[in-house]
Amino acid sequence: MTHALQATNIQKTFSGAEPFQALRGISLTLAKGEFVSITGKSGCGKSTLLYILSTLDTAYQGTLHLCGEQVTGQSQDQLASFRSRHLGFVFQFHYLLPDFTCLENVMIPALRLGAKPIAEIEHDAMEKLRLLGVGEQATKLASKISGGQQQRVAIARALINDPAILMGDEPTGNLDSRNTGIVFDLFQGIVRDFGKTVLTVTHDPDFARRSDRVIEVVDGCVN
Amino acid sequence: MTKPFRMKIETQIALTFMRSRPKMTIVASLGVMFGIGMYIFMNSIIAGTNDYFEKVTLMSTPHLRIYQKVPRNDETILGQRLSDGSIPLVVNPQLVPTVTRIRDPYSLMDRLRRDPDLLAVSPQVSANLTVSKGSVEKNANLCGVDILEQDRMFDIASTLIAGSLRDQQQLTDGILIGAVLAQDLGVSVGDHLLLAASGHSSRSLRVTGIFRTTIKAVDEAKIYAHPEAVQQILQTDRSYVTELFVNVRDYDHLTKPMAQKLRERTGYSVETWEEANEQSLAGRVIRNILANAMIFTILLVAGFGIYNILNMTIYEKIKEIAILKATGFAGGHVVSIFLRQSLFIGLLGGVVGVLFGAGLSLGMSHVPIGVGGLSHLPITFRFQDYLLGFLFGTGTAFFAGLIPALKASRVDPVSIIRG
Repeated sequence: MTHALQATNIQKTFSGAEPFQALRGISLTLAKGEFVSITGKSGCGKSTLLYILSTLDTAYQGTLHLCGEQVTGQSQDQLASFRSRHLGFVFQFHYLLPDFTCLENVMIPALRLGAKPIAEIEHDAMEKLRLLGVGEQATKLASKISGGQQQRVAIARALINDPAILMGDEPTGNLDSRNTGIVFDLFQGIVRDFGKTVLTVTHDPDFARRSDRVIEVVDGCVN
Repeated sequence: MTKPFRMKIETQIALTFMRSRPKMTIVASLGVMFGIGMYIFMNSIIAGTNDYFEKVTLMSTPHLRIYQKVPRNDETILGQRLSDGSIPLVVNPQLVPTVTRIRDPYSLMDRLRRDPDLLAVSPQVSANLTVSKGSVEKNANLCGVDILEQDRMFDIASTLIAGSLRDQQQLTDGILIGAVLAQDLGVSVGDHLLLAASGHSSRSLRVTGIFRTTIKAVDEAKIYAHPEAVQQILQTDRSYVTELFVNVRDYDHLTKPMAQKLRERTGYSVETWEEANEQSLAGRVIRNILANAMIFTILLVAGFGIYNILNMTIYEKIKEIAILKATGFAGGHVVSIFLRQSLFIGLLGGVVGVLFGAGLSLGMSHVPIGVGGLSHLPITFRFQDYLLGFLFGTGTAFFAGLIPALKASRVDPVSIIRG
């Protein structure tokens, strides 16, 4: 069985007047259907690690396999296409496009992928929004709904292309405890019901404790 | 919105970005609009000016003038008589007095009139003489012409300020004289004038009309008469014709080849209207250079406007660009979004600019000038100016958007999203 994610000896150095090695050879493996949290103190390198694992950052040493495919060494355009097909993102801030409606925001990645006809994409997007409890917000502009709702729309957008891996960078960092609970339950549901793999960086010890596995990063190493 | 995304996703995003910043879009489009509008207006006024000067030129110059040059001293005749080693030496060469006339002009004219490329052929019997009324005497340039044929070439009827061409055609002793000359001599229609050529006879002729061409040299010296009247004053035969004026079908392109053809066929000198008016062609070249410099500047400024506004848009939308890239948009897709945006700005400005250019040209064509024969600002409406203006404007917008679009495609999502 192939792993959802396999990272081998990932190293990252920030160049500059005083070069700083942020990651000192991290290796980790995620099985399919695992819900994993990465924790650690500020500046320990956990976000740096997530951006490398999510293919957005390509300036690192080591090798990375995602869904059985080696992504290290692929071109930017190939990586964009890979992200489109296999990865979903949820960030601390929702990063929705404020000039589009919620429905349109969810549809955009699927339209980019272009695997389905528009009518089907619209239907799927509507379904995702309903699943996340924001179906009635579909026709509102993304800038006109509350923070908790925005984050749920962002999760719907991350799920629209049916990605194998969902990555989160403090997805609940900006939410109150009630909305944090809702988002956690959603993530857990995605893992349990759809067999997706979820990898999130979090500051929230409660959130981390409830996930399947916790990876703690200390000074650029996995503890 | 019941049916979102009927268009391509990049198009939809570009249009939404534009709609969310209406002021910016309008300002950028206004830049293109002014660029294209000024392009159209400048070209229209330059074309109008050129057309006006061409019309004025062609009111006094025929497309082609066939005449006999005064023969020069020809050394080859001398050379034939001399043996090898001799050096021909001509001291103080003089022009031989010859009559510069067209031989057998009427059969030549018959042949010319059969050429389908030639619109009009008008024989000219010209002479320099003095014209007098009482004690006032003036030099004049007398032209013996068939006035109706001449009118077809130079539209004399439109320059007449008194009298009529019909009277001139019917009265064999009638003359048309320039307005300044008429004033100097103090004559009006119906008065008689005495015309006298040096060494020839004189004749009294009646004024049937007065014309004003606004070209002073013509208005103060030109007199039209019947060819027979001139021939009588000069005491020559009925076939005495000094030159032939010829108008061709397409005077922009046909004059040069036709001049060459007539030169070979008749053996006479043939002068085109361009050769006779080289100074006005120089003026045309300079006007075109000036106009192009201005148009280039205007389009450049409009281009910088679009460049600035798109740069600002990209700065504003940098987070959204980052998120698009994170969710699977490649660099090329981002370039495509912003190029579409600048192209739409170009098209919007282009359509409005064409209307603006047409309106401006139309408005300015009513501005009174009132100098010379110009009543209003000369404006020519040409479809090509509108088409090229539109293409140049949208092209400028497109290329102005290229650099910001490439910049947007290089946005690093990690550094933006992490803050």
